[in-house]
Amino acid sequence: MASAYYEFYRGSSIGMALTDSLDELITSGSITPQLAMKVLQQFDKSLADTMVKMVKTKTTLRGHLHTYRLCDDVWTFIVKHPSFKMESNEVVSAPRIKIIACKNGDAIEPGKK
Amino acid sequence: MSFALPARQVNFASRTHITPQQQQQYQQYQAQQQAQANALALPSGSSFLASANANAPSRPSPLSNPPYQPQQSQVQTQPPSLKAQTPPTATTNAIAGPSTPAATPATPAPLTLEQQHITAVEGIVPTLQNIVATVNLDCRLDLKTIALHARNAEYNPKRFAAVIMRIRDPKTTALIFASGKMVVTGAKSEDDSRLASRKYARIVQKLGFDAKFSEFKIQNIVGSCDVKFPIRLEGLAYSHGQFSSYEPELFPGLIYRMIKPKVVLLIFVSGKIVLTGAKVREEIYTAFNTIYTVLCEFRKP
Repeated sequence: MASAYYEFYRGSSIGMALTDSLDELITSGSITPQLAMKVLQQFDKSLADTMVKMVKTKTTLRGHLHTYRLCDDVWTFIVKHPSFKMESNEVVSAPRIKIIACKNGDAIEPGKK
Repeated sequence: MSFALPARQVNFASRTHITPQQQQQYQQYQAQQQAQANALALPSGSSFLASANANAPSRPSPLSNPPYQPQQSQVQTQPPSLKAQTPPTATTNAIAGPSTPAATPATPAPLTLEQQHITAVEGIVPTLQNIVATVNLDCRLDLKTIALHARNAEYNPKRFAAVIMRIRDPKTTALIFASGKMVVTGAKSEDDSRLASRKYARIVQKLGFDAKFSEFKIQNIVGSCDVKFPIRLEGLAYSHGQFSSYEPELFPGLIYRMIKPKVVLLIFVSGKIVLTGAKVREEIYTAFNTIYTVLCEFRKP
């Protein structure tokens, strides 16, 4: 696996939409599965870069850290009763969230994944 | 608190094995000495005391057997009048009895060892702050499995070759190594340390390793307390040079390496004390009692 980017953005709504569209195109015979894979890899890369370079919005998070884990450079946090304070002073809360934090795309050594 | 007192007495007892016979001999000898001293017709009570003390180191010693030697060092650290009106308990007699001449009427309110012990600590008892213990789980561990499946675990082999795991009760941190050895830190009592260690061993067991709970050993105990008066560290460093290291440009506290018990103390001008290096709780208490009398000497006016 030569890709140096995490694939977890494929699980986001925008990633799901892309995957669905590519599936449709493959079944209709418009593109080859190889091309679809290439598109998805580019998606991983582009989204990682975009998140780092373009997204400047911030939020502050408070809550009770129930569990944390660090393994393979991936942090996992389970936060109970978090409340997010957005820049617009809007407050959003939830009973429980899971945060998965990876090193940003540039920082991953190739072939490591 | 029952622990402190025996600790102090043990100190004395271990140094003095005075058989009744020796004691008798010594008393005879002392009677002679006293007779001589009286023959010199020293003028007043206080100067008698001083000269008797001055004599002490240079006495010819028909009794220069081991039990006698430490007695002298004791005399120097304690008020010379210690014996005078002490109630005749067995220990005080054995210890203080032979070392000082009888009848020193001019000196005020001497204390028994027991009293001295209580006043020496003034109700201050060091609080235990940290206990470090090691355990051998006696089984090779795959740290990645542990890091992936246990909660509150960190494993970054590039940085450190152990899984760092924490539990909330007792609030502690464990370093778990692939060899099966484990270090548990942060507990505030021996029982907590042991309980936490067992919990970690159980967590590792539940992940499917054949972990045992063996060779639990407390490696270090740290305590702290506040004597509530400022201390002249320079004076202390000067007169206890062989134990002290005081480099205010490097570190604001005085580092006092006590030999018996083998405990290191950090002493600060403010009167706050940190004691570390003990393997058992009693060593912390004994060290504090020992240092407290010294600190009183160097109290800032």
